[in-house]
Amino acid sequence: MQPDTDEAPPVSTPKRPRTTDTPTNGAVNGHAAREKTPEGTPAKKIKSTPKKPTADTPATLKASGLKTPTHKNKAKALFSTPTKQTTAPDTPSKARNADRSAKKKSARLLLEQDDDEIWDGADRLAEEILQDDDETALQESTPATSATNGDGVIRSVEAGSEEPAAGDAAAPTPKRRAGRPKGAKNKRSPTPEGELPAHERYFFQNRAGPPRTSNSNLSKVNLLTHEEYFEKMAQWVDPFQEEKALLLDLHCRSFPQWDFEFDQGFNICLYGYGSKRRLLQEFADWQYRRHSPDSEDDDTATISPPSVIIVNGHTPGVSIRSIFATIVTAVLGADIPSKMGSQPQEVLELLQSSLNARDSDSPPITVLINSIDAPSLRRATNQALLARLAATPQINLLATADTPNVLLMWDLNLRDQFNFVFHDCTTFAPFDAEFDVVEEVSALLGRKGQRVGGKEGVEFVLKSLPENARNLYQLLLTELLSLSDEGHLSDDEGEEGGGGGARGEDAAAAAGIEFRALYQKAAEEFIASSEMMFRTLLKEFHDHQMITSRMDASGMEILGVPLAREEMEGVLEDLVLA
Amino acid sequence: MDADLLELDAGGASKDGSQSQGVYIYRPADKIKSSGERPTKRRKVARTNLPKAANFRPFVSLLNGDEVAKSIELRYRTYQKFWAAQEAKIKGILDDVDSEVLTNVLSFVRSTSPQTYDGCIPAALVTVGSNVSSLGRLLSRLNGQLTTTGEGGVIALESGDAPNLKTTLKNIIRFGITNTEGNEGYQSFVTDREGPRVLGYDLDLLADYVKRKEVKKLVLAFRDSEAFDPGILADLLSLLSSWLDRIPLTLIFGISTSVELFEGRLPRSTVALLRGRYFEIHEASNCVDRIYGRIQAEQDGKFWLGRNITGVLFEKPSDSFQTPEAFSRTVKYAYMSHFFANPLSVLLADDAATTIQHDKVCEALRNLPSFRRYCEDTLEEGCAEQVRKLLKDDAFLLEQSAQWVKSGQQKMRDIFKCVDMVQRALKKFNIVKKTSISDLSIRALAGELQTSASYEDVLRAIKTLDSDQMKLFAMMLPDTLTASSDFAQIQADFGALLQVYQGTEPLKSGYDKQHSVVATTVVQQRVKLSKAKVKLPKENAEFTKIIDRFHALLEACLEETLVRPNDLVLHEIFLLDMRNPLKEVFSPRPRFAVERALSSPFDYLISSPESSTVKVSAHQPAAAILYQLYLESGSLVNVHDLWQAFYAVFESEQGNGCDERTAMALFYRALSDLKALGMMKSSRKKVDHVSKTAWMGL
Repeated sequence: MQPDTDEAPPVSTPKRPRTTDTPTNGAVNGHAAREKTPEGTPAKKIKSTPKKPTADTPATLKASGLKTPTHKNKAKALFSTPTKQTTAPDTPSKARNADRSAKKKSARLLLEQDDDEIWDGADRLAEEILQDDDETALQESTPATSATNGDGVIRSVEAGSEEPAAGDAAAPTPKRRAGRPKGAKNKRSPTPEGELPAHERYFFQNRAGPPRTSNSNLSKVNLLTHEEYFEKMAQWVDPFQEEKALLLDLHCRSFPQWDFEFDQGFNICLYGYGSKRRLLQEFADWQYRRHSPDSEDDDTATISPPSVIIVNGHTPGVSIRSIFATIVTAVLGADIPSKMGSQPQEVLELLQSSLNARDSDSPPITVLINSIDAPSLRRATNQALLARLAATPQINLLATADTPNVLLMWDLNLRDQFNFVFHDCTTFAPFDAEFDVVEEVSALLGRKGQRVGGKEGVEFVLKSLPENARNLYQLLLTELLSLSDEGHLSDDEGEEGGGGGARGEDAAAAAGIEFRALYQKAAEEFIASSEMMFRTLLKEFHDHQMITSRMDASGMEILGVPLAREEMEGVLEDLVLA
Repeated sequence: MDADLLELDAGGASKDGSQSQGVYIYRPADKIKSSGERPTKRRKVARTNLPKAANFRPFVSLLNGDEVAKSIELRYRTYQKFWAAQEAKIKGILDDVDSEVLTNVLSFVRSTSPQTYDGCIPAALVTVGSNVSSLGRLLSRLNGQLTTTGEGGVIALESGDAPNLKTTLKNIIRFGITNTEGNEGYQSFVTDREGPRVLGYDLDLLADYVKRKEVKKLVLAFRDSEAFDPGILADLLSLLSSWLDRIPLTLIFGISTSVELFEGRLPRSTVALLRGRYFEIHEASNCVDRIYGRIQAEQDGKFWLGRNITGVLFEKPSDSFQTPEAFSRTVKYAYMSHFFANPLSVLLADDAATTIQHDKVCEALRNLPSFRRYCEDTLEEGCAEQVRKLLKDDAFLLEQSAQWVKSGQQKMRDIFKCVDMVQRALKKFNIVKKTSISDLSIRALAGELQTSASYEDVLRAIKTLDSDQMKLFAMMLPDTLTASSDFAQIQADFGALLQVYQGTEPLKSGYDKQHSVVATTVVQQRVKLSKAKVKLPKENAEFTKIIDRFHALLEACLEETLVRPNDLVLHEIFLLDMRNPLKEVFSPRPRFAVERALSSPFDYLISSPESSTVKVSAHQPAAAILYQLYLESGSLVNVHDLWQAFYAVFESEQGNGCDERTAMALFYRALSDLKALGMMKSSRKKVDHVSKTAWMGL
């Protein structure tokens, strides 16, 4: 057996897959992803497919979708019997047991697969054909690999151990046909083979049917905290520094052109991927230098430097009124009226009238807006006001847009008022200043609650709330935990168990308790005597983002807590102890 | 909001400090320090311009930065002159287009009053269709007329001004008063009143204003009336109608759809309050065509837009609505880019010869493709001496090129004259229902007018002209043709013929349908149709001969005139024919740009060649890697798997040297980028999944 362990993982040994396959499976994900690129040659496919028949008996595929290392346990648990069968085929009782469970499972599979069948008959056919290929490939490759060993002893060993494998493979073939799907299909099909036109691809990827993704989740992955993110980003050296600098410089060279466009009454909109703050900063600098008289060269210092106002659209507090007010300040300097008015329209009118009152040859006001498509500026009324600002003769507006669909914000009227000329200013600069990356990602993953302060935050808020509220929260947590315990158990039994304990937290967060039920309990415990009061208490929680609420399919309000299970337990403990 | 604080903040704002601020007045951080970092190129630009900071000149030095200030200035002045002329023409057209509607509306406003309409509010319903900007022009001109005569003014409301009744009233009052009194006047009007203080939305204010200023007509215009909330509009109108005895209101509704639809949206009771007339403003496309015709075909033209630009100009309105203003701005941009970026455009100036730098300009001239082609052709003809002279002798070249430019310009004018003639002929003879000068111009500018159907139609139609039409047609002819001796001869013969001819009927040529008869004969039991010319009267036969001669002459002349503009020598100077700056600048494709940046980042990041060949690799920016992985996924994306795939890219290429946490930080950044670009959003379907929201290429 010595040489056997030394050689590279052969596809044909039946025992190996259990041990070697799982680690390689970890890479499968990566591999698969890369293989999906057009470069994925047929040769590559053949190389990887032989693993499947040995490793993936019908039930594996079902249970662990895309196989990732996280699912090792689960897969093993489900599969322990078939493995044993191959190693010790002589114990009939075990085999029968295995058969029975396999039968049970395949029956369930068939039931579940049923709806799948409707969706992809064509897929299935293709799978079958491919599978045939796979099998022949397997047959072919087995002798090939053993032959390469060129060692008689080993070959005999392999041949010996091959037999049960072949039997195993032959027996469940029909089953495999029926239950081939999810994992393998996933690897193959999110992008159909070949080049599809864009619209076909859209429909292909959006066809109806159950989601075709693996069940793996990030619970095992240690997500980044703000500190770690910034630490890592500070250490990281951008390999494209030079290219990006070049790109920026290229854009900087068109400053005179932009200036000319301003001079001719156009406003400018810059689009393209990457943050354009730096570019705007440079432009502001350039403008300042260019239009302010050079004190060394001549002494016509009577001309004041141009007013440049910079707006950062992504700053949370920015409002249209504050933008206008700042511009008014820039125009009028010291003699600002004491009262500008609270409506942005009024401030804008004030601005326009004061601009009209100025000398005609005084320098124009340059307004640079970073990210005019930022969520706070995106609203139609805001855009209409900005358009009016842009249409004011003595205002030069330069706006940058980050999103690809920015043009949809403006209708014919607004476009006319804005009078934009557009320039592609792709900078590839990171949006560090614009977005809180970690925050964005956790919002994207629906894990925002964890960041809002987590356990400590919730406890802090609870401390400042009255007794009643604390009791209610305690009740809520107790209910949720007991619910999730049940859910937990049933999860373990069910097929969808996934990450086991780790999934509990998601289950709890997802489960939640029905509004009525909680009110009932609260009334029983004398926490709230009326629904009014109950709602008032809940509102307090809501304001601090301590509870989540959503409507379920039947329109009932479901309350939950945005905390992980452990944290919920911790909070509950502290509440009970307090 | 004190300025000091702002300045203080902005002054201390380094690159980091300023980013947390929403809005601030920019002050350069440190003048001396940052000017040291400036690249040399930009410093040069700044230096050449700074001495003349007082008279600001926006052009930069071209020809590798060697262009002298004088020449730059000349270029700029030429641009200003050219564009000012064109702008005046455009303005004339725009004024002319709406003038009819304006006078109608004005007389409507003046003549009607609630008294003449039994207490109803007089209302003008103006349908504008897609020509939305025209209403704004109309209103501002109306306002100008009313304010200068002191009759009153126009209050223009947009739907954005009317979120609720209070604000709407407030806006109406404020607009009304500031229109004549200015902002301060309004403030004092509100505050300096006797009696109890009124709130900003009290129509008493407006009534008071009307009384004090003796306003006779106050026009309230709803620019986009469909966008107003019908409820607010109904309330507002009923309120206004009760004030009608104190405020002499007339309403104008701008309607984009149709009057019926507009009426249908309002309650009956509201409609009953209104009475008025209906006006129509013409569609924009007509106007755009006229503008184009004026700009290009005018006989004092010196600079033209080529076929590609014309294509871009007329492609846009067919894709989306476009206002005449937007159209003329596009034309303006074309002019701008020509004079801004083409150093040779200086030759278009009248006094070019004295100011230009001979060596540089000549070098540039010799590099022009059309010049090279000319030289090659001349060489083939065997005139090597001429070519040598052109290449060696600067003075000769300049003289020659001045001539070429002149003759080229003349040829362009001739082309447009022919276009004009063809168009008028088409209209005159009713050959096609709709001809636009733009279609014909595009063909002519591409040098394809001779092969077009309309051209052949015109020539065919000429043969069937009778003598009266012929006389008319002779008036339309371009003077290149009328100046020739052949034409004079024909004209003389024609005149002589007419003098002799006594009949009342105009003379008809032999090609006229009336002169051919179809004879039916039965030959061997088959019907045989034969066309035969009727024997022509003598005068008509004469006339036919004249027509024939004329036809041949015209054809030859057109053949000669309609050259391809791009074949003219030095056409680069007086003809701008580049699709690109214009198309990119006015019909941008930001989505395409983002997709391209992410899917093939090395189009932008000029980098070592070997990395650009690999499809997905760790040598690309993180967002690009993630985007490409994202493209491969289905509509629902498992973030865990995405992360695994992302990490695998790094792992496979950097081996053990790659730090998982750093990769994850990059992954985070890329993920947040994609989210910000609106390409993914969180999904509730499954845990840790996001849904895909953008498909490339759609």
